[in-house]
Amino acid sequence: MNQAWRLALRDLRAGGRGLWLLALCLFLGTAALAGIGSLSASITSALDAQSHISLGGDLEMRVSQRLATVEESAAFAQVGRVSETVRMRAMAQPATGGAPALVTLKAVDAAWPLTGQFALQSGGRQPRGLQAAIAPALADRLGIRVGDAIRVGSARLTVTGLVANEPDRLGEGFSLGPLVLTDMAGLDATGLVQPGSLYESRYRLLLPPTANAQALGDRLVRRFPSAGWTMRTPEGATDTLRRTITQLGQFLLLVGLAALAIAGVGVGSGVSAYLARKTRTIATLKVLGARSGTIAAMFLIQLGLVAGGGIGAGLLLGAALPAIVTAAVGNALPVPPRLDLYPLPLLVAAGLSLLVALLFALPALARARSVPAATLLRDALAPALRPSAAVLAGMAALVLALVALAVLTATDRTIALGFVGATGALILGLWLIGLALRLTLARLPKPRRPLFRLALANLHRPGAATDRLIVALGLGFSLFVALAVIDTSLSSEIKGAAPAKAPRFFAIDLQPEDAARFRNAVTAAAPGARIETTPSLRGAIVALKGVRVADMKNLPDGAWILKGDRNVTWSAAVPPRNIVVAGRWWPPGYRGPPLVSLEDKAAQTLGLKVGDTITVSVLGVEVPARIAALRKVDWGAMGLNFAVIFSPGYIEEAPHGLLASVYAAPDRDGAIARAVADALPSVSMIRTGDIIGQIGSLLGQIALAIRAAATVTVAAGIVVLIGAVTASGQSRRYDIAILKLLGGSRRQVLTGQAIEYALLSALLVGVALTVGGVGGWYVVTQVLALPWAPDMRVVAATLAASIAMTLGVGMLGSLPVLSARPAETLRGD
Amino acid sequence: MALLGPSGSGKSSLMALLAGLERPTGGSIHVAGLDFAALDEDRLAIARRGRIGIVLQAFHLLPTMTALENVAVPLELAGEPNAFARAEAELNAVGLAHRLRHYPAQLSGGEQQRVAIARAIAPRPALLFADEPTGNLDTATGAEIMDLLFARHADAGATLFVITHDPRLAERCARVIELADGRILSDRRRA
Repeated sequence: MNQAWRLALRDLRAGGRGLWLLALCLFLGTAALAGIGSLSASITSALDAQSHISLGGDLEMRVSQRLATVEESAAFAQVGRVSETVRMRAMAQPATGGAPALVTLKAVDAAWPLTGQFALQSGGRQPRGLQAAIAPALADRLGIRVGDAIRVGSARLTVTGLVANEPDRLGEGFSLGPLVLTDMAGLDATGLVQPGSLYESRYRLLLPPTANAQALGDRLVRRFPSAGWTMRTPEGATDTLRRTITQLGQFLLLVGLAALAIAGVGVGSGVSAYLARKTRTIATLKVLGARSGTIAAMFLIQLGLVAGGGIGAGLLLGAALPAIVTAAVGNALPVPPRLDLYPLPLLVAAGLSLLVALLFALPALARARSVPAATLLRDALAPALRPSAAVLAGMAALVLALVALAVLTATDRTIALGFVGATGALILGLWLIGLALRLTLARLPKPRRPLFRLALANLHRPGAATDRLIVALGLGFSLFVALAVIDTSLSSEIKGAAPAKAPRFFAIDLQPEDAARFRNAVTAAAPGARIETTPSLRGAIVALKGVRVADMKNLPDGAWILKGDRNVTWSAAVPPRNIVVAGRWWPPGYRGPPLVSLEDKAAQTLGLKVGDTITVSVLGVEVPARIAALRKVDWGAMGLNFAVIFSPGYIEEAPHGLLASVYAAPDRDGAIARAVADALPSVSMIRTGDIIGQIGSLLGQIALAIRAAATVTVAAGIVVLIGAVTASGQSRRYDIAILKLLGGSRRQVLTGQAIEYALLSALLVGVALTVGGVGGWYVVTQVLALPWAPDMRVVAATLAASIAMTLGVGMLGSLPVLSARPAETLRGD
Repeated sequence: MALLGPSGSGKSSLMALLAGLERPTGGSIHVAGLDFAALDEDRLAIARRGRIGIVLQAFHLLPTMTALENVAVPLELAGEPNAFARAEAELNAVGLAHRLRHYPAQLSGGEQQRVAIARAIAPRPALLFADEPTGNLDTATGAEIMDLLFARHADAGATLFVITHDPRLAERCARVIELADGRILSDRRRA
């Protein structure tokens, strides 16, 4: 081994020229994987670190549309220190008049916050009574400063400060408007808490250190079984965000794996080209008495050193990525990453990269090992050796190890396995296409025109790099198409205006007795506006077919409808945008025992069919109802839609509010909002555009992350394309010299090459559109759950640019040889 | 000994077989007590160590190694502990003491061939093959190289096989075997 080490280092000292492709490909692949892994670990670790602060305590008890009863409050106080908060949507408006804005109104008691620090920007004071602290975004929007007053409901609240840190924001979940924070007296003054109005009361408990939060919470929920309590422990506080980040991280890791797969192809062609240039060195060493094993060890050491360098640099960059991202776009992240070294993602990235490097380098190493000493005497083309059984077995073992590592370390193993399988199948498929192309071209009649003949011959002659080029270009082009498809679909979703048939506003907290005033205010501001109103109350499904949801061990996947409470309604007739697909709707005037209609997908998820019974808890009263009908709902139209609709009658007795949707001309938005704020200050108006904007900005962040990961993958793809084309260019230096010797002009030589690359590209456009299109479609519709809306012009432009780059690199690579005199090249050969 | 003949007469093929660079498709070859036809590529490489030195027309130095390292490689491969000292002595003997640290690209054709001769002779082989050793050199340098080759093989006590199409060069050898179209035309020994 010492011998091999000495020879390897000595040979490498000359610069190891030609191994740059190997190092660069592994650097990019490793950096992508290590970076994505480290970033997602640093964010989830930050979430875990502050889960107590996010929850606002050790245990949270939550209920809708009411406060805790005296008995419930006493039970909470028995187990620990309690803080009470109430959260709802409301409208805020400068007290001096002006456009109202939708806000999140949060009222806190004196004990809040039990964990973390509430902070105001300098000069702010904690609000008391008829005072409020507001988010800076709201101050900007309403054009008010500290000391000014705002109107919320029927209260006039003086702004005492701008909020710098709301400790439990992450645990509060999705909010549509900026924060207005006041105390319980301030909330009372607004008059917004009325029977049927939509608000949520949270009781955060600080427990003794030895207490088991989960057990205590379960006990409290069981003690008030019909009261609609939902409990959360710190682990659950950031569940949704954590799941989103893990899922996004998993998807980005797949993009990283794609980068690594492409890097692997680059490694293969880089190592092949390097070892092909070393043929004479290998033969000379053999003439001098070196054994094949020594030769293989020597090059394995060289490749190992260069690969180690590339992987090491990639790991460094990957480990530093959380810090880099924090410095660059820290504010855009949902939570600042916890900066630390995360060994697991680094180890996984290093392991995957090393396995990929070995797998793709092995065939070339085996070829190098078997270069005969006689190559020095006869300049014959090295025969295209079939890999031996030992090499094939080695490759199979490496593939197994690679798949095992990639799949076992993934959060979603099915998707990871599918992805790895698809990538492997794609590489194999491309290689077979290359083989078929060579065999077909060799059997076709020769074209009469010499340049075409030359171009075709170059694609199928012995020693041609066609199959390697097809794999590299095919993977690269397919990847570019897939990314273009995903990116343009995301962009169109982000830009996507509300559907034309969507309402302009949703109104919440509308009291039934105010319906007429609401209608008048809207139609005065926007004559001809259409208004749909529907009763709404909060209800939680507590039992399915007689089985308590709380007692169910495993909730079915996608059973969002069982999590907490949601809006339910009743209706005499089938609502617009709904179609009954099973069972029968209750007859007009039905007043019998409660019946219910469920959305068909939700029913399917829960395993419910017509005739089954569900029990819904409404304000602590349990209402059992038989399922009479299942409906298909057009959610895309963004109207008022409900998963659970009751028959009229019994349920109408419960205190409830109204939800309204307003359809009007877009230019009346401002007038409608002002008119409703003046007439009914307690009614919150949610602009559809704002919801879409909010979703859009969330998607924008996701798109940014995907684009950043994709950039690395595209960079790897470009490096591989350049590497593959220049590697194949080196083997044609000799041909070019001979052609020139025989009187070929530069233009003729270049045209011949252009025809060759154009033929390859034309073949691969079809492959790329199919493979990239299907891959992109899967990601857009199945992983991101977005509508399929790629911009085919961008896809076409991406492909055209890829082809132009391939042609350009190929042509540019030939220029130095073209400018050299043939004798120089031939003598040097 | 000289193998003399025109291009295509089979002299290089014969040398490749004798030096174990190629394996025969039939028959047997016995060199230094070993049946080369029965050895695989690796065994042939080991068999060459210390037994066979080869000088080729195109020099074939390792481009990434200095003159000294080029000469030391076969010694190192054979496990010689003083490879570098012996390589240096050998380069001194061919008159390149001042060019030890130069790379092949920094040497003239004649100097490169001297390094190749030093490299072939350093392991003290029993057989030294020289395939058209002056083919890539001008007349004067070629003559110098041949003088050196004859002097060094005598010092080293090796049997020298010169493969050439040049009758004047062949005449310097004790035995001349003339080939044409793969057959021996004559086998002359000089007195």
